[in-house]
Amino acid sequence: MESDLANRFGMISCLALERPGKWRALSVTILLLVAALPAAPLLWRTLMSMDSLTASGGAAVGSAFVSALRNSVVVALLVAVVSLAVGLPTGVLTALYEFQGRRVLLALAALPLLVPSFLWAIGWSSLAARCGPVAAHLLSGFAGCILVFSASAVALVLLVSAAATAALSGSQVDAARLAGGERTVLVQASRHVATPALLAAGLGGVLTLSDPGPGQIFALRTAAAEILTSFAARYDFSLAGQQCAVLTGLVLLIAVPLACFAAPRLASEMMARQSQAMRRVRHRGIAGATVAVLTLLVLTGTVTPIAGLTLPLIVTPAGVAWQRLKSLLQTFADTLLYAVGAGVTAAALSLLLALCVGRHDRLRRVCLGMCLALFCLPPALTALGFVHLATEAPAWADFLLRSRLTVCVALGLRFLPVAAVLGLHAWGSTSASWTLAAALHGVSVWTYLWRVVFPLLLPAEVVAMLLVALLATADVSTVLLLHPPGARSLPLAIFTVMANAPESLVATSCLVYVAVASGLLIALWTMAARGKA
Amino acid sequence: MTGSRFELRSVSKTYDGRTVLSQVSFTVTAGEHTVILGPSGCGKSTLLRLLAGLDAPSAGQVLLDGNIVSEPDRILRSPHLRGVAMVFQDLALWPNLSVMNNVLLGLSGTGLTRQEAKARAQEALTLCAVASLAQRKPGTISGGQQQRVALARAIAVQPSYLLLDEPFSGLDLVTKTRLLEQIATLAVERALTVLLVTHDPLEATTLCRSALVLDNGRIVEAGVLTDLLRAPQSEILRIFRAYRSGVRAGM
Repeated sequence: MESDLANRFGMISCLALERPGKWRALSVTILLLVAALPAAPLLWRTLMSMDSLTASGGAAVGSAFVSALRNSVVVALLVAVVSLAVGLPTGVLTALYEFQGRRVLLALAALPLLVPSFLWAIGWSSLAARCGPVAAHLLSGFAGCILVFSASAVALVLLVSAAATAALSGSQVDAARLAGGERTVLVQASRHVATPALLAAGLGGVLTLSDPGPGQIFALRTAAAEILTSFAARYDFSLAGQQCAVLTGLVLLIAVPLACFAAPRLASEMMARQSQAMRRVRHRGIAGATVAVLTLLVLTGTVTPIAGLTLPLIVTPAGVAWQRLKSLLQTFADTLLYAVGAGVTAAALSLLLALCVGRHDRLRRVCLGMCLALFCLPPALTALGFVHLATEAPAWADFLLRSRLTVCVALGLRFLPVAAVLGLHAWGSTSASWTLAAALHGVSVWTYLWRVVFPLLLPAEVVAMLLVALLATADVSTVLLLHPPGARSLPLAIFTVMANAPESLVATSCLVYVAVASGLLIALWTMAARGKA
Repeated sequence: MTGSRFELRSVSKTYDGRTVLSQVSFTVTAGEHTVILGPSGCGKSTLLRLLAGLDAPSAGQVLLDGNIVSEPDRILRSPHLRGVAMVFQDLALWPNLSVMNNVLLGLSGTGLTRQEAKARAQEALTLCAVASLAQRKPGTISGGQQQRVALARAIAVQPSYLLLDEPFSGLDLVTKTRLLEQIATLAVERALTVLLVTHDPLEATTLCRSALVLDNGRIVEAGVLTDLLRAPQSEILRIFRAYRSGVRAGM
């Protein structure tokens, strides 16, 4: 029986990897459902109690929450506008022109994306406190939140715009240059990247809705912070669930049209194209301006908050700081476990997703649209979904629903969309004729996958794993809601002690985190550059 | 498998409601070298894929030695059991494997032992003059050398049919001419039946004796190439004739 089965599976032709089939849609649906499933019972319960929610005119979620939601929307809108206005032109300039220190400046500008926003908020707040009450007042509330959130949103728009510009072919750029010089090149390139940049700005804005950090530090009530307070301080799971559902509804209202609009464009960018790559040119004036803008961004988004984090250490003896830091560093093992667990979960699922989608165009579009929408959902939704499942499930299911494994899986599912985009892109850049050649030569599908496909996809999957690991580490909401007792991650430890612990301890911990994130960012950058070469 | 015969009977192929081939019938005679001509998108590559078993017809049948090997939406005999080898337009060399491993993996469906496969691969590489590149990756060798590696991988399985899907596009004239001469010699030595898809008169006339002209998914002309060129019906053959006359006049 076993050998019969083995024979049967061994006989599957490589052609199956390229052929359409109902199994593809079915498998993709199952995989995406897996990512959304943990939140389903919670959403269901909230929907069931929707009558009472609407009858009370939103009073059930609390008037404070409604006002916090309003604040969150204002911040999201302003962040989207700022990030588009700054990120788009800088991204286009960075991709089109060569200048000294390009990699370093870009890496430093991208850093805010990979470090929890509350760390930067701590840096700014520490600096403002030293500059006097006026500075502290200026930076409190909306201004501080917009400043910190904009740093990461600008980085996102900048990277997306640069990538979209780099996707232009060399001949397109040359044609624009011949038609009207640098001005035409810039105008045409900006037009080309306008849509992806707009989408990235929208995404950056939507993501701020789910981030509780800066609001808590700059004393601005935000929806995400209210949910955490309801759950972790008031122990009111039901209220947290309802608030989370309302936030999810709002996020989906923005995210779904965004995803529908973005998915086809993103899907068409996924497939490999044969065109002469664009070459960056040296232009003294424009390069100088680009360096100036990037330097300003790096100073605002990265260097100044780091300076703010460093200042408390100057006045604290090194020995004392180290003693205090040691207690926080005990979280290192759990932080690493969560990061690796999330990375492996997301990378494995994304590989499966890429295999199932294959070269099916419509399925790729649907999958990307779903991924974008899933990514926009508040992290607290999945986490509270797990909590809900855990309260309903029997005790034997604790190892699945109340353990470190739960945190890994929840974080992996949360960042599956990021890994999925990389996985689909990697699959799209393989050639269909490789598979046809394998089929023609009678290579078994497993041999082909093992010897050709997996080694070729490996660099992209490793990058996806590292990226998810970094993003997962920066996610405080999920870990806060799900971690088993005594199993905090480093960012969560900082987040929970930041209000009461000595400033030097918080600052040192933040700096350690920034240093580790920078190291990983450099590793990622180097790997991506090697992969390109 | 020498002496085997491929036959297409009223074969049609549609992709997403678009008809690429319509009611095509023809027989591939053993040992014949045939060029398939026609404008872009007329179904030339689809025809090769149907013969190879990489695609199933939407209607009609494909027969090998009188046995049905493909019928509507079903492939009854796997590609590697048809005695067919193919050189793809983009060559389809697996980029992460060395030249030797490309040929070895191509032999994995033949049931040869590791030792036998190695000897066969070495022989094919030597025949195609790329044995010295055995340990190199495809990305590190020139376009002409890559063509030879793709050819070595194809002939290593000792096929009866060699399908060439515009494999020489992008090569310089000198490399192309040498490669064509080499394939012509190999095809005669090994009694290969060759089907070549091309737009290039040089390739067609160097390698093939007969021709099949497709237009809009239908066969519009078929026969011995020199006969067809005497009274061409299709535009592509008229251009071929003009090209040949031009070359002769130039000489």
